[in-house]
Amino acid sequence: MTQRPSTEALIRSLAASPPPPPLTARGLAGPVVAALTISLGLFLWLIGLRANLGQALADPAILAKSLLPLALAVPALVLALRSARPGRVVRPGLLILPAAAALALFLARGVQVPSGQILPELLGHSAAACLLSITALSAPATLVGLIVLRRGASLRPARTGALIGMAAAAGTAAGYALHCTEDSPLFFTTWYGLAILIGTGIGALAGQRLLRW
Amino acid sequence: MTPDAQALAWHCPGPARQANVMRSRTEGALDQDRIWDDLMHRANQGDGAAFLQFLTQVTPRLRGLIRARGRGLPPDLHEDILQEVLLAIHLKRGTWDGTGPVRFWLYAVARHKVVDAFRRRGRRVHLPLDDVAEMLAADPGPAPLAARDADRMLGMIDARSAALVRAVRLEGQSTEDAAARIGVTPGTARVVLHRAMKRLAELAERMK
Repeated sequence: MTQRPSTEALIRSLAASPPPPPLTARGLAGPVVAALTISLGLFLWLIGLRANLGQALADPAILAKSLLPLALAVPALVLALRSARPGRVVRPGLLILPAAAALALFLARGVQVPSGQILPELLGHSAAACLLSITALSAPATLVGLIVLRRGASLRPARTGALIGMAAAAGTAAGYALHCTEDSPLFFTTWYGLAILIGTGIGALAGQRLLRW
Repeated sequence: MTPDAQALAWHCPGPARQANVMRSRTEGALDQDRIWDDLMHRANQGDGAAFLQFLTQVTPRLRGLIRARGRGLPPDLHEDILQEVLLAIHLKRGTWDGTGPVRFWLYAVARHKVVDAFRRRGRRVHLPLDDVAEMLAADPGPAPLAARDADRMLGMIDARSAALVRAVRLEGQSTEDAAARIGVTPGTARVVLHRAMKRLAELAERMK
């Protein structure tokens, strides 16, 4: 305890130190997008895109399969960064819009199909593969995001971790949709949504450990 | 201003005194924000002298905060905690992006580190953000402005300016967030806010 330097000496030495690199939007988005590109690129290269992708994307419902997760990923990333800046207010309002749109799609399809067909459409035939792929493929991006955000100063590490996990999982879902051929909103809002929630939870748990300072 | 309110303002010394307090507090805070923001901005560009000045200015306030909260702990420990806070300010200064006053950033960092430091030493400390803001404020003045008097004074300026003053100066939101809420750019908000504070100061002068 007596080895402690005087506060004046500490202040002088801190002032003489070079400033730490600033935490910027580009500094976070760059590595996260790179990680997403690599894991999704490898996956799509090995497993393949869906047949007639260009034609399929002309269908608004199929386009929504990619666009909705993307519309969640971008604000989640923005909020993750903001939540790592002390004194900034984080309002989750931006996240509600894509979630509400997904719910609306789900309900619209639900009233459209005969009731006997709802469950088979919802369960589909690739739910497990979908959950597993999205969760696994988003892990590198979550990890890279957490590493960058360790330079941040989150006052609520679990929340910041949850947001980066959500951004990574939603971004992954948007790319996974280019492979997945199950086009019923009953299927993709349910399972993509669940996969994104799993990614969010993993991010929260990891953030709680990794983002303390 | 209604005749009744005017009579009240003339005959009742309380609100007038507090209006004065508000004027000196807010103008002081504005000046201090400009100085601290500028110092931290330059510090983050690599200007060590600016960072030295910033740390030198905030240290006595931080020391006061820790001393007030850590009664019963040996003073030696207070200085340890102060150094932890100063170190955190250095290590995390890259997270201030200049969108709000560095003062809010400083409050949040100081509060986080002080609470954390006490907790790790087995003491639980209750430290509301308002307390931190109060203790680190530029010119603490004799008494905080009562909400009722603030409402009265804000009623005398236009609604948009009043909303901004209320959000930024009384509720402690960042200028950027408040600006977004009322639909103007942060730059405009700063100008409106500055004029509103001047106007409130003039009103306070008249009410004296």
